[in-house]
Amino acid sequence: MADPPPPYPDSTSDTGVETNNETPAGIPRWVKVFGIIAIILLLLFIILHLTVGGPGNHGPRSNASEHSLRQP
Amino acid sequence: MTMSPSLRKFALTVHITSTVGWLGAVAGFLALAIAALTSQDVQLVRGTYLAMEVTGWYVLVPLCLASIMTGLVMSLGTSWGLFRHYWVLVKFLITIASALILFMYTRTLSYLGGMAADTTLSVDDLRNPSPVLHAGLALLALLVTTTLSVYKPRGMTRYGRRKQQGQRRASQM
Repeated sequence: MADPPPPYPDSTSDTGVETNNETPAGIPRWVKVFGIIAIILLLLFIILHLTVGGPGNHGPRSNASEHSLRQP
Repeated sequence: MTMSPSLRKFALTVHITSTVGWLGAVAGFLALAIAALTSQDVQLVRGTYLAMEVTGWYVLVPLCLASIMTGLVMSLGTSWGLFRHYWVLVKFLITIASALILFMYTRTLSYLGGMAADTTLSVDDLRNPSPVLHAGLALLALLVTTTLSVYKPRGMTRYGRRKQQGQRRASQM
Protein backbone atom coordinates (compact mmCIF):
# COMPACT_ATOMS: atom_id res chain seq x y z
CA MET A 1 0.00 0.00 0.00
CA ALA A 2 1.41 3.32 -1.00
CA ASP A 3 1.52 6.44 1.12
CA PRO A 4 -1.22 8.97 0.38
CA PRO A 5 -0.17 11.53 -2.22
CA PRO A 6 0.45 15.09 -1.09
CA PRO A 7 -2.35 17.61 -1.56
CA TYR A 8 0.25 20.20 -2.50
CA PRO A 9 4.03 20.08 -2.30
CA ASP A 10 5.73 22.40 0.10
CA SER A 11 7.03 25.58 -1.51
CA THR A 12 10.55 24.87 -0.33
CA SER A 13 10.63 21.42 -1.88
CA ASP A 14 12.04 20.68 -5.29
CA THR A 15 10.68 17.17 -5.35
CA GLY A 16 7.01 17.82 -4.81
CA VAL A 17 6.80 15.14 -2.13
CA GLU A 18 6.33 17.30 0.94
CA THR A 19 2.81 17.71 2.20
CA ASN A 20 1.03 20.95 2.76
CA ASN A 21 -2.49 22.27 3.16
CA GLU A 22 -5.25 21.76 0.61
CA THR A 23 -5.34 24.32 -2.16
CA PRO A 24 -8.61 26.04 -3.07
CA ALA A 25 -10.46 24.95 -6.22
CA GLY A 26 -10.51 27.03 -9.39
CA ILE A 27 -7.92 29.08 -11.19
CA PRO A 28 -5.77 31.03 -8.70
CA ARG A 29 -5.77 34.80 -8.87
CA TRP A 30 -2.07 34.97 -9.70
CA VAL A 31 -2.66 32.87 -12.84
CA LYS A 32 -5.39 35.28 -13.99
CA VAL A 33 -3.12 38.29 -13.35
CA PHE A 34 -0.32 36.57 -15.23
CA GLY A 35 -2.64 35.88 -18.14
CA ILE A 36 -3.76 39.52 -18.37
CA ILE A 37 -0.16 40.78 -18.23
CA ALA A 38 0.89 38.23 -20.87
CA ILE A 39 -1.90 39.35 -23.22
CA ILE A 40 -0.95 43.04 -22.75
CA LEU A 41 2.74 42.26 -23.42
CA LEU A 42 1.82 40.19 -26.48
CA LEU A 43 -0.28 43.05 -27.88
CA LEU A 44 2.54 45.54 -27.23
CA PHE A 45 4.98 43.20 -28.95
CA ILE A 46 2.72 42.88 -32.01
CA ILE A 47 2.17 46.66 -32.15
CA LEU A 48 5.94 47.25 -31.97
CA HIS A 49 6.44 44.67 -34.72
CA LEU A 50 4.02 46.53 -36.95
CA THR A 51 5.47 49.98 -36.33
CA VAL A 52 8.36 51.37 -38.31
CA GLY A 53 11.71 50.61 -36.75
CA GLY A 54 10.24 47.97 -34.52
CA PRO A 55 11.34 44.39 -34.28
CA GLY A 56 9.25 43.47 -37.31
CA ASN A 57 11.79 45.33 -39.33
CA HIS A 58 14.46 42.79 -38.36
CA GLY A 59 16.91 44.77 -40.39
CA PRO A 60 18.26 48.24 -40.83
CA ARG A 61 15.79 51.05 -40.50
CA SER A 62 17.32 53.05 -43.29
CA ASN A 63 18.65 52.29 -46.74
CA ALA A 64 19.95 48.76 -46.52
CA SER A 65 18.01 47.86 -49.64
CA GLU A 66 20.27 50.23 -51.51
CA HIS A 67 23.11 47.92 -50.60
CA SER A 68 21.35 44.89 -52.04
CA LEU A 69 20.89 43.30 -48.63
CA ARG A 70 17.96 41.00 -48.26
CA GLN A 71 16.47 39.83 -45.05
CA PRO A 72 16.15 36.06 -44.81
CA MET B 1 8.00 7.73 -12.95
CA THR B 2 9.98 9.13 -10.03
CA MET B 3 13.73 9.63 -10.07
CA SER B 4 16.08 8.45 -7.37
CA PRO B 5 17.29 11.24 -5.02
CA SER B 6 20.82 11.30 -6.47
CA LEU B 7 19.56 11.41 -10.06
CA ARG B 8 17.06 14.11 -9.13
CA LYS B 9 19.82 16.23 -7.54
CA PHE B 10 21.96 15.86 -10.64
CA ALA B 11 19.08 16.76 -12.99
CA LEU B 12 18.16 19.73 -10.79
CA THR B 13 21.77 20.98 -10.83
CA VAL B 14 21.89 20.79 -14.63
CA HIS B 15 18.47 22.45 -14.89
CA ILE B 16 19.38 25.37 -12.61
CA THR B 17 22.75 25.81 -14.34
CA SER B 18 21.25 25.86 -17.83
CA THR B 19 18.29 28.08 -16.93
CA VAL B 20 20.24 30.65 -14.92
CA GLY B 21 23.02 30.45 -17.52
CA TRP B 22 20.45 31.23 -20.22
CA LEU B 23 19.26 34.22 -18.17
CA GLY B 24 22.83 35.47 -17.73
CA ALA B 25 23.57 35.02 -21.43
CA VAL B 26 20.46 37.03 -22.32
CA ALA B 27 21.61 39.79 -19.96
CA GLY B 28 24.98 39.86 -21.73
CA PHE B 29 23.21 39.83 -25.09
CA LEU B 30 21.08 42.78 -23.98
CA ALA B 31 24.22 44.73 -23.04
CA LEU B 32 25.63 44.10 -26.52
CA ALA B 33 22.33 45.09 -28.13
CA ILE B 34 22.22 48.38 -26.17
CA ALA B 35 25.84 49.10 -27.11
CA ALA B 36 25.04 48.45 -30.78
CA LEU B 37 22.03 50.75 -30.63
CA THR B 38 23.66 53.66 -28.83
CA SER B 39 27.33 53.68 -29.83
CA GLN B 40 28.69 56.05 -32.46
CA ASP B 41 31.74 53.87 -33.02
CA VAL B 42 31.10 51.89 -36.21
CA GLN B 43 33.73 49.26 -35.34
CA LEU B 44 32.11 48.66 -31.98
CA VAL B 45 28.66 48.37 -33.58
CA ARG B 46 29.96 45.87 -36.16
CA GLY B 47 31.71 43.90 -33.44
CA THR B 48 28.63 43.73 -31.24
CA TYR B 49 26.39 42.44 -34.04
CA LEU B 50 28.96 39.75 -34.87
CA ALA B 51 29.22 38.88 -31.17
CA MET B 52 25.43 38.71 -30.89
CA GLU B 53 25.27 36.25 -33.77
CA VAL B 54 27.88 33.99 -32.17
CA THR B 55 26.27 34.30 -28.73
CA GLY B 56 22.86 33.47 -30.16
CA TRP B 57 23.96 30.33 -31.96
CA TYR B 58 26.53 28.95 -29.53
CA VAL B 59 25.31 30.11 -26.11
CA LEU B 60 21.62 31.05 -26.14
CA VAL B 61 20.32 28.17 -28.27
CA PRO B 62 22.25 25.37 -26.45
CA LEU B 63 21.33 26.74 -23.01
CA CYS B 64 17.70 27.13 -24.08
CA LEU B 65 17.54 23.52 -25.31
CA ALA B 66 19.26 22.27 -22.16
CA SER B 67 16.83 24.24 -20.00
CA ILE B 68 13.80 22.77 -21.77
CA MET B 69 15.11 19.20 -21.71
CA THR B 70 16.13 19.27 -18.05
CA GLY B 71 12.90 21.05 -17.14
CA LEU B 72 10.91 18.25 -18.74
CA VAL B 73 13.00 15.65 -16.93
CA MET B 74 12.53 17.46 -13.60
CA SER B 75 8.78 17.85 -13.99
CA LEU B 76 8.05 14.38 -15.32
CA GLY B 77 10.56 12.70 -12.99
CA THR B 78 9.06 14.12 -9.80
CA SER B 79 5.56 14.28 -8.38
CA TRP B 80 5.27 17.91 -9.54
CA GLY B 81 4.34 16.72 -13.03
CA LEU B 82 4.12 18.97 -16.08
CA PHE B 83 0.40 19.77 -16.10
CA ARG B 84 -0.57 19.32 -12.44
CA HIS B 85 0.43 22.67 -10.97
CA TYR B 86 -0.21 26.06 -12.49
CA TRP B 87 3.28 27.36 -11.72
CA VAL B 88 4.90 24.48 -13.60
CA LEU B 89 2.49 24.88 -16.52
CA VAL B 90 2.97 28.68 -16.73
CA LYS B 91 6.74 28.26 -16.53
CA PHE B 92 6.65 25.62 -19.26
CA LEU B 93 4.53 27.83 -21.56
CA ILE B 94 6.80 30.86 -21.02
CA THR B 95 9.88 28.74 -21.73
CA ILE B 96 8.41 27.22 -24.90
CA ALA B 97 7.30 30.65 -26.18
CA SER B 98 10.75 32.12 -25.42
CA ALA B 99 12.44 29.20 -27.18
CA LEU B 100 10.27 29.52 -30.30
CA ILE B 101 10.97 33.25 -30.54
CA LEU B 102 14.69 32.60 -30.03
CA PHE B 103 14.78 29.94 -32.75
CA MET B 104 13.01 32.27 -35.19
CA TYR B 105 15.27 35.14 -34.19
CA THR B 106 18.47 33.25 -35.06
CA ARG B 107 17.74 34.04 -38.73
CA THR B 108 17.64 37.74 -37.90
CA LEU B 109 20.88 37.42 -35.95
CA SER B 110 22.55 35.82 -38.96
CA TYR B 111 21.18 38.61 -41.12
CA LEU B 112 22.48 41.29 -38.74
CA GLY B 113 25.85 39.52 -38.58
CA GLY B 114 26.00 39.53 -42.37
CA MET B 115 25.24 43.25 -42.40
CA ALA B 116 27.94 43.93 -39.83
CA ALA B 117 30.46 42.25 -42.11
CA ASP B 118 29.51 44.59 -44.97
CA THR B 119 31.98 47.44 -44.65
CA THR B 120 30.02 49.67 -47.05
CA LEU B 121 27.25 50.21 -44.50
CA SER B 122 27.38 53.15 -42.12
CA VAL B 123 26.68 53.04 -38.41
CA ASP B 124 23.17 54.41 -39.01
CA ASP B 125 22.47 51.63 -41.52
CA LEU B 126 23.51 49.04 -38.97
CA ARG B 127 21.60 50.41 -36.00
CA ASN B 128 18.56 48.30 -35.14
CA PRO B 129 16.30 48.38 -32.04
CA SER B 130 15.04 44.82 -32.58
CA PRO B 131 17.72 43.00 -30.51
CA VAL B 132 17.16 45.32 -27.53
CA LEU B 133 13.43 44.67 -27.49
CA HIS B 134 13.77 40.91 -27.97
CA ALA B 135 16.50 40.58 -25.35
CA GLY B 136 14.60 42.81 -22.91
CA LEU B 137 11.45 40.72 -23.19
CA ALA B 138 13.45 37.50 -22.97
CA LEU B 139 15.14 38.73 -19.81
CA LEU B 140 11.76 39.59 -18.30
CA ALA B 141 10.35 36.17 -19.23
CA LEU B 142 13.30 34.32 -17.72
CA LEU B 143 13.14 36.39 -14.54
CA VAL B 144 9.49 35.39 -14.24
CA THR B 145 10.27 31.69 -14.69
CA THR B 146 13.07 31.91 -12.13
CA THR B 147 10.74 33.61 -9.66
CA LEU B 148 8.05 30.97 -10.24
CA SER B 149 10.61 28.22 -9.60
CA VAL B 150 11.61 29.70 -6.26
CA TYR B 151 8.19 30.77 -4.92
CA LYS B 152 6.16 27.91 -6.43
CA PRO B 153 2.80 29.67 -6.00
CA ARG B 154 -0.13 27.46 -5.05
CA GLY B 155 -2.78 26.21 -7.41
CA MET B 156 -3.50 22.84 -9.00
CA THR B 157 -4.97 22.36 -12.44
CA ARG B 158 -8.12 20.30 -13.00
CA TYR B 159 -5.90 17.51 -14.34
CA GLY B 160 -3.73 17.72 -11.22
CA ARG B 161 -6.78 17.43 -8.97
CA ARG B 162 -8.04 14.39 -10.87
CA LYS B 163 -4.64 12.71 -10.59
CA GLN B 164 -4.47 13.55 -6.90
CA GLN B 165 -7.93 12.11 -6.22
CA GLY B 166 -7.03 8.98 -8.20
CA GLN B 167 -3.88 8.49 -6.16
CA ARG B 168 -5.80 8.99 -2.93
CA ARG B 169 -8.36 6.37 -3.92
CA ALA B 170 -5.58 3.96 -4.90
CA SER B 171 -3.80 4.47 -1.60
CA GLN B 172 -6.98 3.76 0.39
CA MET B 173 -7.48 0.35 -1.22
